[in-house]
Amino acid sequence: MATRPLSIPVILGTARKGRMSAHAARFVVAQLARHPGVETELIDIADLRLPTDDAGEAIKDAGFAAKMKRADGLAIVSPEYNHSFPGLLKHALDSCLSEYIHKAVGVVGVSAGPFGGSRGIQGLLPVLRELGLVTIFWDVNFGAVGKVFNQAGELQDQAFVQRTDKFLKELIWMSETLRHGREQIALRS
Amino acid sequence: MAPDTPPPMDCPTCGIRMNRHAEKLILADDDEGVESQLGGIIEETHSCPGCGDSATRRV
Repeated sequence: MATRPLSIPVILGTARKGRMSAHAARFVVAQLARHPGVETELIDIADLRLPTDDAGEAIKDAGFAAKMKRADGLAIVSPEYNHSFPGLLKHALDSCLSEYIHKAVGVVGVSAGPFGGSRGIQGLLPVLRELGLVTIFWDVNFGAVGKVFNQAGELQDQAFVQRTDKFLKELIWMSETLRHGREQIALRS
Repeated sequence: MAPDTPPPMDCPTCGIRMNRHAEKLILADDDEGVESQLGGIIEETHSCPGCGDSATRRV
């Protein structure tokens, strides 16, 4: 067991007004914070204020980059917009690269409809791979999110407690395993 | 040390020897620094077994 706590922040991947994904993201943060030896926080991409007249590492936000560098894993909460993930999420993720290498990532999909953001997740996975992140094989799909949370953000469907717990246990295992690999297992020359 | 073994890197934070665990091909959209056979730039990633800090360098 690592002596340093694992750092697994939760990225809220939309800045759209009225976003129900914020409820899901806060729920994931709360569930993650229950695990001993894990540090987490909510990173809201709406707070990054990234410029749009350039892209990639040229627009790196120092605070976001430091959090990505410190992270051992990431949970990304992403709504599905027009069958994909938000463009602003891609813009934010693209602002870092080396910070992500050999770190774990899991995706939480959110949608107003029945598919739980699954099409957005499918679009996001190859992007995460190219960034050097290692995806886990559990997702959480908040379909019909307007019924899952009430307007106050309180969970209305308790089944998501166990679903999220399974997801987080896998994410924590992968984060810890990859940290061991990053720090102890050398790439062969 | 084998002739093609990259030189080690010490942690910029705590000074101990870091672990070289990745080489990432960064695809370039210009000619600057492009490795001719791979079509991009190779960046090594090193992580510190002591403090967990990481560092990169281009090959």
